[in-house]
Amino acid sequence: MDHLAHVSNQPNSQPQSQISHLALDIGGSLIKLVYFCRYDDNCRDDDELRSQNESLGSESDNSRPVLGGKLHFAKFETSKINDCLEFIHSMKLHLGGFHDCTAPSSDKIFIKATGGGAYKFADLFKEKLGVSLDKEDEMECLVTGANFLLKAVHQEAFTYLDGQKEFAQIDPNDLYPYLLVNIGSGVSMIKVDGDGKFERVSGTSLGGGTFWGLGRLLTKCKNFDELLELSHQGNNRVIDMLVGDIYGGTDYAKIGLSATTIASSFGKAISDNKGLVDYKPEDISRSLLRMISNNIGQISYLNALRFGLKRIFFAGFFIRGHAYTMDTISVAVNFWSKGEAEAMFLRHEGFLGALGAFMSYEKQCLDGLTVNKIPQRFPISVSSAGNKIYCSMNGKSNDNESIECTV
Amino acid sequence: MATGGGAYKFADLFKERLGVSIDKEDEMDCLVAGANFLLKAIRHEAFTHMEGHKEFVQIDHNDLFPYLLVNVGSGVSMIKVDGDGKFQRVSGTNVGGGTYWGLGRLLTKCNSFDELLELSQRGDNRTIDMLVGDIYGGMDYSKIGLSASTIASSFGKAISDKKELEDHRPEDISLSLLRMISYNIGQELIIRIRLNVLLELCSRIILPKRAILAIFFRFLRRISYLNALRFGLKRIFFGGFFIRGHAYTMDTISFAVHFWSQGQAQAMFLRHEGFLGALGAFMSYEKLGLDDLMVHQLVERFPMGAPYTGGKIHGPPLGNLNEKATLVLLLDLTLHFVWVQLQISWMEKFVLKGTEITAPVPMAPPGTTGLGGFEVPSSKGGTLRSDASALNVGVLHLVPTLEVFPLLANPKMYEPNTIDLSDHCELEYWFTVLSEHLPDLVDKDLMKELPPFPKKREKGNSPCVHWPYENNHEAVASEGGTDDAKRRGDAFARAFSAHLARLMEEPAAYGKLGLANLLELREECLREFQFLDAYRSIKQRENEVSLAVLPDLLMELDRMDEEARLLTLIEGVLAANIFDWGSRACVDLYHKGTIIDIYRMSRNKMQRPWRVDDFDLFRERMLGSEGKKPRPHKRALLFVDNSGADVVLGMLPLARELLRRGTEVVLVANSLPALNDVTAMELPDIVAEAAKHCDILRRAAEAGGLLVDAMTNTLDGSKENCSSVPLMVVENGCGSPCIDLRQVSSELASAAKHADLIILEGMGRALHTNFNARFKCEALKLAMVKNQRLAEKLIKGEIYDCVCRYEPAS
Repeated sequence: MDHLAHVSNQPNSQPQSQISHLALDIGGSLIKLVYFCRYDDNCRDDDELRSQNESLGSESDNSRPVLGGKLHFAKFETSKINDCLEFIHSMKLHLGGFHDCTAPSSDKIFIKATGGGAYKFADLFKEKLGVSLDKEDEMECLVTGANFLLKAVHQEAFTYLDGQKEFAQIDPNDLYPYLLVNIGSGVSMIKVDGDGKFERVSGTSLGGGTFWGLGRLLTKCKNFDELLELSHQGNNRVIDMLVGDIYGGTDYAKIGLSATTIASSFGKAISDNKGLVDYKPEDISRSLLRMISNNIGQISYLNALRFGLKRIFFAGFFIRGHAYTMDTISVAVNFWSKGEAEAMFLRHEGFLGALGAFMSYEKQCLDGLTVNKIPQRFPISVSSAGNKIYCSMNGKSNDNESIECTV
Repeated sequence: MATGGGAYKFADLFKERLGVSIDKEDEMDCLVAGANFLLKAIRHEAFTHMEGHKEFVQIDHNDLFPYLLVNVGSGVSMIKVDGDGKFQRVSGTNVGGGTYWGLGRLLTKCNSFDELLELSQRGDNRTIDMLVGDIYGGMDYSKIGLSASTIASSFGKAISDKKELEDHRPEDISLSLLRMISYNIGQELIIRIRLNVLLELCSRIILPKRAILAIFFRFLRRISYLNALRFGLKRIFFGGFFIRGHAYTMDTISFAVHFWSQGQAQAMFLRHEGFLGALGAFMSYEKLGLDDLMVHQLVERFPMGAPYTGGKIHGPPLGNLNEKATLVLLLDLTLHFVWVQLQISWMEKFVLKGTEITAPVPMAPPGTTGLGGFEVPSSKGGTLRSDASALNVGVLHLVPTLEVFPLLANPKMYEPNTIDLSDHCELEYWFTVLSEHLPDLVDKDLMKELPPFPKKREKGNSPCVHWPYENNHEAVASEGGTDDAKRRGDAFARAFSAHLARLMEEPAAYGKLGLANLLELREECLREFQFLDAYRSIKQRENEVSLAVLPDLLMELDRMDEEARLLTLIEGVLAANIFDWGSRACVDLYHKGTIIDIYRMSRNKMQRPWRVDDFDLFRERMLGSEGKKPRPHKRALLFVDNSGADVVLGMLPLARELLRRGTEVVLVANSLPALNDVTAMELPDIVAEAAKHCDILRRAAEAGGLLVDAMTNTLDGSKENCSSVPLMVVENGCGSPCIDLRQVSSELASAAKHADLIILEGMGRALHTNFNARFKCEALKLAMVKNQRLAEKLIKGEIYDCVCRYEPAS
């Protein structure tokens, strides 16, 4: 979706009142935006989104008690923060913060923000948009966002195994404890015991940033989704050293390693005979993806086991609903846990932090705001032509899905 | 016997080319067996590595299990070892050494693993890794304990469009990779350990009902978090080619373990880790009975000819790391460690080399700590090469006759070295001392003085061949004056200098290093260059001169009363200890005066109180006080030092005094020559000569079987002669100026059984080593300090100060 075009087509066309709130999650690689539009003013932006996204299913069939509207999601690369600022500015999203209640007359506007960038870019936001970023703790936001999604959004979580997606019915009363694994540039693993009750138990630096960073260096792919796409056609056996390669095709049965288990990721690349150019980018991408997914799956499972957690939710922009990624993670968790633990994924995987930041308005002076019902269903596999000029990581349309909600 | 995946893969090839079947051993079995053997058999096999500093760890083998063995090869295996043959693979990961090298090759175009590692040392990972600070604008994320420098995402900065692969420095890429993989291993390891402890705790306790389970679980987890590492596992050892002695990798791994365990766990490494698998396969030859080996029976020798300098790679570049085989060969009771490049061409060469390797090699005389020799197969060709890593791996000699000295008060805590050379200043000092001493060893003046040595000795003669006794001129360079000797002298000087330089660069190159080891290294080196006894002629000359004045000394002594005599005797020992060719200061003295001049001068300086002066205590023990006569000692062990005046005018008269009091005397001397130290082989002749002038010595020597020629004379008068207690000579099992009492000859060990007094004499045996040693019986340590620095350091004194330390049995 071409935001720039879209935005420029409708300069200042949105009445300010439509945008109630904006929250940001500024990570190492991506900036995630969540903003809320009310229905009352028949948001055009919303219409457009709907039309472009084939069927966002935003026709509402339920009542709107006080204030109806939609939560919109968007993302930008952190390195292109200026695009993001421009977007916010042209959409007048920055006016959707909250005014300092103690000094109503002042023009001090706060926008909820989380992620490291909330600190790093605070001055930039001040300078360019004249808004202050009200910083929320990253982990807290992730947890709040996840809890919100898991409790409020129907069919938010699903399992993925052998290409089969299955929505999980999660009883909000039997949600805790669970392990939340957020795979952004790096990976955080958070044990969640309840609302606001959580602990970051682990993490790893082998995350989405590693996949994309190494992948860029190794394959010359221009964007993340292209790299992911490549992995579909790849064969990791070309590069990975399997148990069978070492044991002449036999399993190492004594310790339960089958011949196809990866003994060493990229272990075959040590051969003298082949250089980087001799390997197919597809194979490289596949090996890389398996290496990272496997590793995350394993560490997650170990942590889940350590804390006696049965459910592991994977989120973050690394996954982006990519089948093979989810499959690898699921297999890893399944393999290590011998089927005892379950890997689950979230449809709004990338926006937990931003959502959490958004939810934190609740605690502030906007006392009237409560999201009480989220009736929306979204098709997960909405296909969309990612616009390369605008957002290189824009492969799936999740980023502009909206959630209808009432406030 | 073979192990590793290749044992399966290449079985047919071995069959075809060598006509041998490979008896395939389970890889894990072998790793564990190898590690258990190394940890039990080699002292200071394990070490920690933090910030470039190695520290060797002494591990009590009763306190070894359970431990975790992390083998970082292509992939990573984590094995919990509970005992011999009792182990379990608890975890593993596919992100290991192969990943590092594979990705590294693709990203950097490095041609060898070592090159890639080398690069990482100059890298800066901040250009590629996304740090917490990069995300937080230079700030820490302190709430969850992440500092700004913590890596948030490995290679996370490489996503920037601006830089392509060519724009990144290979150094930075290598470092990022190294950190990524090392940290990941450390993390999985620590989680695994915590988890295992938890599960173990759970399994040990009968679990209560589900209701309380959660609380209980939380409680257990808390315990596991706090002392997991101490509770569950004693130690974590890392091995595998990824580590293989590379300082930087070890540092990174150590840091990762430290970081993830919040300082509770420490990574340890093994010096012979690259050979774990092969060694384990080797151990499975049960008939060798290697499992009964005791640590004191193993002596490690380093090939002296070609030290590896600077961690440079010798031989062909490393190709396929996976296909690298390790061989452990047992040749004449020595274990050799050999790296072999496993390539098709290698196979052919191995067939050839195989026969060479099994050819007989020179063997150490049994009962000694062994000769170096050129028997290391790695020196035979380019295909078989020693590992070029930062740590030198020696040849393990099995010397079944070596034992732990039975009179050590606490053998487990015993540390022979007084000075630990891991202190760099200390090492530097001794390095200088030894370097300056080199020219004396190959003294050009001496070479000229002495008549040329008849050229009858061909290179390649077995080192066991002894020189004709009449040849009194094979001192230092005496053997002398010949081109061959000069050449060897120069070669020795070069080789030893190289070893010293290597040590300066990597103090842990040869394992844990004390001054004793350093001095021994020099003796090894001399022997290797066929200088079997560099000081032979000097020793003989000094013995002759000293023996000539001995009768006068004995007469003088006999005129004194008991108390004055004892003091004079001790003074004599201290004064005579000045004759030490190992001391630079003394060598200078020799060049100025005659032996007797020096001795007199030395005697005159003997003013009590000495710097360390327990003489009064000793006298009271010997002579008693207030008319009470104490019981004489039953048997005294006298550890003698130098030839010449030292033994003849110092220790022999003291031995005579003890004999006179009815104490059996055992003279303990070196098995092999070291500097001008007297050897067990030379002592009987000296005693025989001295006995000509002294009845006491003669009768005691006869009783001790030292005077073989005189036996016929004494047969008739044997009745009265038998009344004397015996004077005996035993060898100590060493060939060094110092003595490590953990490895002494079985003769000495059995002679020590009835001893109730030990007298250690000389700098090497009483100061450099054993100064702090405690014994089950009384001990007297006598030495003159002939080195200013040692004097300052040890006794806060001056050069030529004396030490007379008497310690009751502890």
